Amino acid sequence: MARSTRDGLTMQDSLIPSFQRPPSRVAIRHAADYNEDLAAILYETLREFDPPIRGKTVLLKPNLVGLDPLGVMNTHPAVIAAAREIFLRMGASEVFIGDGPAMDRDTEAILESVRLLEYTGPLRRTFVDFNVDDVKRVPLRTRASRLKELYLPKSVLGADFLVSMPKLKTHHWAGVTLSLKNMFGIVPGSCYGWPKNVLHWAGIDRSILDINAVARPDFAIVDGIMGMEGNGPIQGEPKASKVLVVGDDPVAVDATCCRVMGLVPERVNYLARAGTLLGHVNPEKIQQLGESIDRVRTPFAVLEEFSRLREN
Amino acid sequence: METIDAANTVNLSSHHTGEAMESSFAENFYLPFLQSAQNADGGWGFYPGSLSRVEPTCWALIALAEFQSGEEVGERLSRGFQFLRASQLPVGSWPAAPEQEAGCWVSSLACWALVSNKESTDAVAAGLRWLCEDWPKDSSPLRRMLKKFSSMREFAQHNDSYRGWGWTPRTSSWVEPTSFALIALSQCPRELLPRSAARRRQLARSMLFDRMCPGGGWNCGNPRTYGVDGESLVIPTSWALIALREEQDRPEIAASLAWLKKNLSGIQGSSSLAVARLCLEIFGEQHLITDQKLKDAFSKNEFLRNTVATSWHCLVYSKSQRWRAQPVMV
Repeated sequence: MARSTRDGLTMQDSLIPSFQRPPSRVAIRHAADYNEDLAAILYETLREFDPPIRGKTVLLKPNLVGLDPLGVMNTHPAVIAAAREIFLRMGASEVFIGDGPAMDRDTEAILESVRLLEYTGPLRRTFVDFNVDDVKRVPLRTRASRLKELYLPKSVLGADFLVSMPKLKTHHWAGVTLSLKNMFGIVPGSCYGWPKNVLHWAGIDRSILDINAVARPDFAIVDGIMGMEGNGPIQGEPKASKVLVVGDDPVAVDATCCRVMGLVPERVNYLARAGTLLGHVNPEKIQQLGESIDRVRTPFAVLEEFSRLREN
Repeated sequence: METIDAANTVNLSSHHTGEAMESSFAENFYLPFLQSAQNADGGWGFYPGSLSRVEPTCWALIALAEFQSGEEVGERLSRGFQFLRASQLPVGSWPAAPEQEAGCWVSSLACWALVSNKESTDAVAAGLRWLCEDWPKDSSPLRRMLKKFSSMREFAQHNDSYRGWGWTPRTSSWVEPTSFALIALSQCPRELLPRSAARRRQLARSMLFDRMCPGGGWNCGNPRTYGVDGESLVIPTSWALIALREEQDRPEIAASLAWLKKNLSGIQGSSSLAVARLCLEIFGEQHLITDQKLKDAFSKNEFLRNTVATSWHCLVYSKSQRWRAQPVMV
């Protein structure tokens, strides 16, 4: 069980050479907009995966970046609420939602802005602000970056089943921001600031690897119904792919998302490296469920710096 | 797992009995919360029952000090000061979390919180020395020289000769930690300030003005990224304005105040509301955010039971407003 990887003591479960790792599964589901019955779509999909969550604590980690009245920047609350409902329906004992927004310390304002309350009901004992959670020292044994350790939220380290729920977006420094990059949000602002600048100094690509080595998501649900292209993750343009991408390997999910975006995942620095130890990038090792990539491919515009990521 | 309990709301209807109630509002609601949230070690966590940390302890102390009356508050302050002194690292800085071996931005808050306590004079002096020796790495002379020869496209066009403070040592200057450092330096008596303090303040003020967003106000410190204008945020704007309050004749201040006033109606978070009101009152703009709006925010979710947000609201209602002027030794 992945839980043992998050207490900072062992990482054997998260770091497995790709040749030893069993094939991963990724499902692509079409959803025209947020008014669709997302709970039904997710229920049908998660039943195929049958995640080991009965009686467990599930932590959903959406991407809540900032004030977003247009619903382009943050994971949409309809997707978060649907996921919460389905994990509870499938037997999870508790389902929490948590994030540590990177640019604005007024998390309450961001929650109001995304109207999370309207979708999930009262946030009573539901939302964890990772920015101000109690923390625990976690040594970074991968040492991909210069960081020797991070102080991470106890809520994340103590969760039985961690679900990364990013938005499908380009990123002006990392190329793309998906389920692996989304884990930057577990790094607490109260220790590292708003933004978490120490990660930038340590190297974004490498920090992504370090963080995911100690807190590798057990599952990923990507909100690609409406994403962002160009100068993401904040100042880009809306881009609708009308998909949810779901899977039990965050690397495989991110690689699939890149292919949906018309980008080559092997050319995304951190994904290429993640493909050696954290999951599969190689399409031959990814069992595709649901829609085919070709059917939903929606090429995303990228900044000039990342033109090399394009398929053609 | 510490979660937000938004359903645990308070019925304030019996307290909406007019302006006479406003002055005692903080004493009836916020102070009891802060007092009950103090841990046995004298510090405060971000939420009741969570581990004591330097940042929430500082804000709680700054707020409680404004309402200092009676033995009980005095005793709580004393235990809080003691917690902060015990948390100080040998180099003079303070860490953000227990066990951390390096100090960071919370050192400014600790100096600010301790400056009113006579027994903490040495701790404050050491903290200020560390603060004035902590230079951001992004604007070091070597970095600036390397940047001149770099062919990489500039992410943001800052004037790197201006230097403030970072969230963590040896990284980049950002608006909020720079603002807190400036406020701390302005609160401390001259005899405690290191020689370099005047120069640091000058550079930091210039840095803040340089990082102002094009339409007024501040975000974290990126007014333009890849040629696109950044959007200002309420909290960094408010703290930057408070930090720059001695320069209120500058056009940047007027533009930023105008931005803040223009965006008041859209403020959705209780923390933003409190800091915006504090800021506006310091600049003589009274009650643009009404008491009722602050009360409604409290009624909704008790500020998510967050120590920092509660402390900021406490400051709004402080009578002495000591921290806005010169420090008083107690």
